[in-house]
Amino acid sequence: MDADARELFATSLRHVTAANTGDALDAALGELGWGEALPADRRTAVSLLFELQGAAGATSSALDAVILETLGLGLEGDLGVVLPPLGRTDPPGSVEGEGVRVGGLALAGVAARDRAVVITGTGEGSLAAVVDTAELKLRAVHGLDPRLGIVEVTGAHVPATARSDLPRTAWPAAVAAGQRALAHELVGASRTMLGLAREHALERVQFGRPIASFQAVRHRLAEAYVAIEAADAALAAAWVDGTPFTAAMAKAIAGRSARTVSRHCQQVLAGIGFTTEHDLHLYVRRVIVLDRLLGGARSLTRRLGEDLLERRSLPSILPL
Amino acid sequence: MDLPEFREAVERWLDDNAADLTPDHGPTATLDEQMAHLSLVKRRTFDAGWMRWGWPEHVGGLGGSTLLRAYLGEALTARDLVEPGIYSMTEVLAPTMIGFARPELAATMVPRLLRGDETWCQGFSEPGTGSNLGALACRATRRDDGWRVVGQKVWTSLAQYAQRCVLLTRTGTVESAHRGITALFVDMDTPGITVRPIETMHGAPEFCEVFFDDVAVPFDRTLGDEGRGWAVAMDLLPFERSTALWHRSAYLNRRMERLLAAAPAGSLTATEVGEVFHQLFAFRARSLATQHRLDAGETLGAETSVDKILLATTEQAIYDLVADGLSDEVVLGDDPDGERWRSEFLYSRAATIYGGSAEIQRNIVARRLLDMGNER
Repeated sequence: MDADARELFATSLRHVTAANTGDALDAALGELGWGEALPADRRTAVSLLFELQGAAGATSSALDAVILETLGLGLEGDLGVVLPPLGRTDPPGSVEGEGVRVGGLALAGVAARDRAVVITGTGEGSLAAVVDTAELKLRAVHGLDPRLGIVEVTGAHVPATARSDLPRTAWPAAVAAGQRALAHELVGASRTMLGLAREHALERVQFGRPIASFQAVRHRLAEAYVAIEAADAALAAAWVDGTPFTAAMAKAIAGRSARTVSRHCQQVLAGIGFTTEHDLHLYVRRVIVLDRLLGGARSLTRRLGEDLLERRSLPSILPL
Repeated sequence: MDLPEFREAVERWLDDNAADLTPDHGPTATLDEQMAHLSLVKRRTFDAGWMRWGWPEHVGGLGGSTLLRAYLGEALTARDLVEPGIYSMTEVLAPTMIGFARPELAATMVPRLLRGDETWCQGFSEPGTGSNLGALACRATRRDDGWRVVGQKVWTSLAQYAQRCVLLTRTGTVESAHRGITALFVDMDTPGITVRPIETMHGAPEFCEVFFDDVAVPFDRTLGDEGRGWAVAMDLLPFERSTALWHRSAYLNRRMERLLAAAPAGSLTATEVGEVFHQLFAFRARSLATQHRLDAGETLGAETSVDKILLATTEQAIYDLVADGLSDEVVLGDDPDGERWRSEFLYSRAATIYGGSAEIQRNIVARRLLDMGNER
C-alpha cells in the first residue's frame, strides 16, 4: 500500500472501529475489504486494525483471520480458531483416536460459526483438524473482561470432519502472527489509557492548579509514554525480523508495557478511574486478558531467559 | 556506497587489520591508554576511508548515508576495539560544527576530529548549572578584538585531552536565561584555561573541571549568532541521544553476551535474564528507528529523550544483572576482568545522571511529547 492508500485505509478503519464492535465490526471490516488487504499487505492490515481496535476497546474475529491466513487455511469457509489456554502457546488439541481432544479458548464469534479449526501436536506431526462447533463444549466466559466475550472450549473425542498435515513451521508462525496482532492491540489500548489520564491531569484542579503541573504526575505519565514507545519500537523490529523469536519478545514487551501504563494511568485518574462512570476500567481489564492470550509476558519472559541461559549467547538481531 | 556494501567491506577490513586495531593494553586500560588507542583506531579507519563515510564532503567526508557512521561505530564497539563513550564524542560534536561553524572553520577542524588528530570537549554544565542549563553563568564579554571568557565548567568529559571545546557562555544579562547564551569554539591551549580532572567512583578521571580566567576567543570562533547559543545546544543534545546511543547499544549487547558466557551456572534466574534482554531489545529497536529517521533527513528533537531513558534503564538493568551473576568478579575480583566488570558496574550508576538526568528526560517527555504544559 502506498502512503495515500494507507492513510485512506487507516481513516476508514478508525471510523469502523470507533463505531462498531463484535459482529458489527466483523461485518464492517468485510465491507471495507480488510480480509483482502490482509494477504496483500499483512503488516499494514494487522498493525492498523489491531492498534485501532485496541484503542477503541472494540472486539472482532480478526485474530482468527490472521491465524488462519498464516496457517494457509484461507479466509473463506467461516471457520473459527481454537486458541491455546490462558498464558500458553502450545496447540490446544491432541489426537485422540479418530477424533481430537480440545482444551483452549476462542473469540466470541466462534459460537456463531459452524466449524472451528483445532491444531494438534507440534513439529512434524502437527495437524489442522476441522470440527463442528456443535461437537465442542463452549462456555461463554464472563470473567475479568466480559466485553471481550471469550469462550472456554473443551471437548473429548471430538470427530474431525477434515484433517490436514501442517508443515513444522506452521503453528509457530501462526502463533507469531497472532502475537504481533495482540501486541498492536495492547499498544492501542495503552495509548487510550494514556490519553484518558493525560486529559484528566490537564482538567483536574487541586491546590489551585491542574494536577498535570505536578512532577509526580508528569513523571508517571512520562513513564507510561516511554513504555508505549518501547513496545512500539520492539513491534516494528519484530515485523522486520519476521521470526517467532522476535514476535514473542514484542508480545511480552507490549504486555508488560500495558501493565505499566495501566498502573500509572489508574493512579493519575485516581477515584474517577476506579468507577464504572469512566472508561478506564474497560482498558485495565482488557490489557490483562490480551497479555495472557498466546503466551503471557511472564511465561514468555521466563522461556526467553531459559533459552538464553541455555545457549549462553545472544541472537544476532536488529541489523541496521 | 550503500549499507550492505559498506558492511561487508568494513567487516573484511576489520578482519584483515585485527592485529593492528586490537588494543594491547588488556581489559583494564587506563584512560590515557584508551585515548591513545582511540586515536590510533580513528586514524586507521579515517585513512582507510571508513571513518569518512556518512559525513559531508565539505568537511572531509565521503558523503553517503548517516547509517554508515552508525554501522562503523557499531562494528568497532561490538568488536571491543574502542570504548563507545569516548569514540562517540565525534557523533555529538561534529554535527554541531557542521551546522553552526563558519564553513571554512568546519572544513578545517572536523577532519581533525574524525581522524583522531584531535579530541574535543563540550563545555555545558557548571557548578551552579547542572540540569538547569538556561541559567549558566560562564561569561563572555565583547571586546574590540574578540570575546573574553571568565567562569567555570564542570563534568566536561575528556577536557584534559582536548584541543578544542564547544563552550556555552553567557553574553546577555543573567535574567536573559536561554536567550542570552552564545556558543564559542575555543582552543584549549589558550592562556587562562585550567583543567582539573575529577576522580570518579569507577576509577577513570573522565570528567573535569575547567576554569576560564580572562580567556581570549576570536569573534570568528562564534558558533551560530551571538545570543543564539541555546539553539546550538538544542541542536547538539539530540545527537547525544542518537547515533552515539546506537554505538553504546552494540557495546551493551556484547557485554551482556559476555555476562551470559561467564556467569556461573545457577547465578542468574531465567526471568531476570529474559526481562533484561527484553529491555535491551526494545532500547536497540528504538535506537534503530532513530538511526533511520536521521538517515531520512529528519530533524531530531525531544523524542530522543525516550532513547536516553531507555538506554539508562537498560544499562543499569544489565549491570545489576552483572552484579548478581558475576558477584565474585565485581566484589572480590582484582584481576583485569574483575576490575573491568567492577568499573563498568560502577559507571552504569551514572547512566541516569549524565547527559540529562532521568528526571530531566521525563520532564522533557511530559512537556514536549505529552504536551502537558509547564510545571507549576
